Amino acid sequence: MAEALTHAASHSAADHGSDHGPAAGHVTLQYHPGLPIPNGKLIVWLFLSTEIMFFAGLIGTYIVLRFGAPTWPLPHEVHLSEPIGAFNTFVLICSSVTIVLGLEAARANKSVAAKGWLLATFALGSVFLGVKMYEYNAKFSHGIYPMKPHSLIYEKENKAETKAAQDQDNVARHAALEDLADRIMPLNSRRAQAEEPLNEEYPWLRLPIRIPGGNMWASTYFLLTGFHALHVAIGLIVFLVMVPMTLNAARAGLVENIGLYWHFVDLVWIFLFPLLYLF
Amino acid sequence: MSDHAHAHAAAAAHAHDDHGGIAKYIYVFIALCLLTSASFFTYSDYWPFHAQPQIGWAFMMAVSCTKAMLVILFFMHVKYEANWKYVLTIPAAFMSIFLILALVPDVGLRGHWVSEERQLYMAEPRPLGKQGAHHGNARQKEAAESRSSGAGHE
Repeated sequence: MAEALTHAASHSAADHGSDHGPAAGHVTLQYHPGLPIPNGKLIVWLFLSTEIMFFAGLIGTYIVLRFGAPTWPLPHEVHLSEPIGAFNTFVLICSSVTIVLGLEAARANKSVAAKGWLLATFALGSVFLGVKMYEYNAKFSHGIYPMKPHSLIYEKENKAETKAAQDQDNVARHAALEDLADRIMPLNSRRAQAEEPLNEEYPWLRLPIRIPGGNMWASTYFLLTGFHALHVAIGLIVFLVMVPMTLNAARAGLVENIGLYWHFVDLVWIFLFPLLYLF
Repeated sequence: MSDHAHAHAAAAAHAHDDHGGIAKYIYVFIALCLLTSASFFTYSDYWPFHAQPQIGWAFMMAVSCTKAMLVILFFMHVKYEANWKYVLTIPAAFMSIFLILALVPDVGLRGHWVSEERQLYMAEPRPLGKQGAHHGNARQKEAAESRSSGAGHE
């Protein structure tokens, strides 16, 4: 205990006294770092451990919601394209490699090479975001939004089609509504070959579409990919800030820190891709 | 020599000793690409377990955890860090697991006790398709077919 107090005292002495390190004053201070890593790296790791909980919470909630749901949309019903998702996974893996090569270059004091790798990472991250925007647009253009009023998703035909056909006869109502729901957007592929869905043929109609489980799907999909895309965007901004810097060995710690963050973003996508596209 | 300087010298030595260089990153990259193709393979028609989605889920989670470990150990250099790495990662991992488990009774099992009024408006388990696949054997093949034929429909 006494030892700890001495340490605390010497800490504050170091803070208020000289900023020139332990040997500068007439008292030689013994400074024990809590962890054998630089402060910046420690901050990044503390931040990442909160990020682990943040994304584990989101992904875990998604899993619990998804497997507790009575049904879940098939990928093609919500216009998800698995090959595009796999491509984006590949892009992020490549960007992880480029940033780690940038770190190696910076450690070897090759600042030009380090900057090249940094720019390559920025380009790959931009490709990821571009593909993500294209994917979002594919959903929005089909009336798939996380919430009303833009969203056209209904869970069942009785809710969905009363909007489209309110004067239906009560007796034949259910069968007719089901048929109408299938004409607007077929649930299964049985009608898909026979005729084009109404919403595809006349996009301006924007009729309510029946996607069982679609609302929960849209909420979780846009929340998960949205937060992930936000992290990618923040990473890109940091890369942009770093572009004018000389990324030599003195800055290797900075490159390492942003690299740690970027790998974590890649890590999250490694789980999101199978969970959202292939499950 | 103070402990501080010693720690720094050790860290510097670490940085030089333990990094196998570019080749190691290339190997990890190739492994990651192969593992991504492996989980993407479950989407193809050659994947034999479309009728039992649970097998695919377990397989993909195993692949994802392997990929995550590769990224954490090699790209984030955690393999070469001192024991502080456990302090920061293991409690966070446990917190995440407890958080998820805490959701199961109310959120995960919300479909088990449903009022009649709510049942009127909630989605029904689909008669055809992947979700209904494990409810009956006769449907399984049909489900796999509708899935593969519908997959190309953007």
